[in-house]
Amino acid sequence: MRVVIAEDAVLLREGLVRLLAENGHQVLAAVGDGPSLVDAIVAHRPDVSIVDVRMPPSHTDEGLRAAVRARERVPGAPVLVLSQYVEVSYADDLLADRTGAVGYLLKDRVAQIADFLDALRLVASGGTVLDPDVVAQLLVRRRREDPLRNLTPREREVLTLMAEGRSNTAIARALQVTEGAVEKHVTSIFAKLDLPPDEEQHRRVMAVLTFLRG
Amino acid sequence: AFTLVITGVSSFFVLGLPVLVGGLLVARAFADLERRRIGPVLRRRIARPTYRRAPVNASWFRRMGNPMFVGQYWLDAVHASVVWLVSTVTFSIAVTWWCSAVFGCLYWTFGWALPDTAPVGIVIGDRPLPEALGLGGSLGARAFFYAAFGIFFLGTLPLVMRGLAVAQAQCGRALLSGMAEVRQHISGLEEGKARAEVQREAAVSAEATALRKLERDIHDGPQQRLVRLAMDLGRAQQQWDTDPEAARRITAEALAQTQETITELRALSRGIAPPILTDRGLPSALAALAARSTVDVELDVAEIGRLHPALENTVYFVVAEALANIAKHSCATLCRINVEPLGDRMVVNVTDDGIGGASLAKGHGLAGLADRAQAAGGTLSVTSPLGGPTTITAALPWRAAGQRR
Repeated sequence: MRVVIAEDAVLLREGLVRLLAENGHQVLAAVGDGPSLVDAIVAHRPDVSIVDVRMPPSHTDEGLRAAVRARERVPGAPVLVLSQYVEVSYADDLLADRTGAVGYLLKDRVAQIADFLDALRLVASGGTVLDPDVVAQLLVRRRREDPLRNLTPREREVLTLMAEGRSNTAIARALQVTEGAVEKHVTSIFAKLDLPPDEEQHRRVMAVLTFLRG
Repeated sequence: AFTLVITGVSSFFVLGLPVLVGGLLVARAFADLERRRIGPVLRRRIARPTYRRAPVNASWFRRMGNPMFVGQYWLDAVHASVVWLVSTVTFSIAVTWWCSAVFGCLYWTFGWALPDTAPVGIVIGDRPLPEALGLGGSLGARAFFYAAFGIFFLGTLPLVMRGLAVAQAQCGRALLSGMAEVRQHISGLEEGKARAEVQREAAVSAEATALRKLERDIHDGPQQRLVRLAMDLGRAQQQWDTDPEAARRITAEALAQTQETITELRALSRGIAPPILTDRGLPSALAALAARSTVDVELDVAEIGRLHPALENTVYFVVAEALANIAKHSCATLCRINVEPLGDRMVVNVTDDGIGGASLAKGHGLAGLADRAQAAGGTLSVTSPLGGPTTITAALPWRAAGQRR
């Protein structure tokens, strides 16, 4: 894949470049601030961009805002955002345009190289990926009446993994059950939550998230 | 009858009130005089009260009649009335004492000239006191007695005079400056409270700034390194079987990273609570700072022993941040650090021969220093003309090792 990296910490930027190179990907540009990211995405049209949230000049959420701006100019440009800590509003901003091909992971996940590269590929192909910690926080923000009270514990697990963006196959592997069992759970969940069933990965995630955000 | 009443009432108001106001003003004049006299007698400063003026847009009547509405004028008038009585009493006593002293001491000069029947001296019934006491009626006895009498009065004269003066002065002070003293006391308390408030805010601000800087330093330093470390080890793991050479190389790099992370963490902990300062005190800690500095340092620390930890911390960080500033901005070649006690303060001087232009304004490196100094109850000043040299001076209240504030 052709990748653009935006990360202001030299150590990490270099580490990512090497990591991608060792795994057969091509790094088109490695930039260190928001405006440069937008320029790079517009100029190179990469297959996916890896973006750190905290970058100059503002050192708050510069990377996130640059990613959103870039996707306005290049609609649907796949972006995987990395951040040091979970901030649910970042997920909101990324998912706001509802076009998919976004991901939000904690920086720590980069160390799990296989999973990281899987997530990268998923985002590049138009899917949505959310860090488990982000999903956990989303599940915590409940309304008075817990709409998930009808779900069995197993179904809750499946719901969580769905929200992270995993496919049925991945969920089956994680829970060590058959894919058929997972499909049955999924159907049951959508029925109980009164959601229209959807096979397409991105729309599935969006549906679940929309539901969770209330 | 109507005419008389009206005349009476109106003359009271028309004539009486101005006279009253005039009287009050006169009372104030005399009171001011008296206050000047009281001061030296009591050997202290007499608080001068403020006589409130009428508000700016008050009516003509309010302005003209202002003395009637201000309390201190009435107190002055009371004093003028009362002091007459007090001073009459003190006057009488004073005169009596003087006369007794003079009479007694000088009796022997004129006693012989007095006819025996003259009722001079103290008489009990028909007989002079010395005779009544059984000392005999001779001139010598009388002279001796009155001399003793006179000496007693002479001896106690200074005391009595002083006592009378003080009594009169205290009476005056109570009436004339009592209110003013209370006001002064209150405003002193309020000032102290305001100062404490400022100090507390400086402390909070200094702490918040320090903590934020700490978070940034941790984020930019060790945190990044550890994430990179995790990535590298993951990569090494990936390459273990397929390309052992690469795996070995990555692992070696990771090891170097670990070392640098440890160094960074050590530096950070120095920035929070330097171990050498806690263990060995200021002289050693400042020497360590001087040794690490890129600019040459002349260190001169007085023999002060251990101090209160808060004071030691403040001095250390003032010097540390001053040195950091010098290294970054001043292009100096030599820096002199001087720490010594002066009265009840610890004075820290950091001078460099650089290009000057340092300031305490926000955004420059020294802004946090002023907060730190203020939080410790002290002051910080910077003299830094363009072209140099620059001197930073901190004066901090002295606190011994076990002392509470």
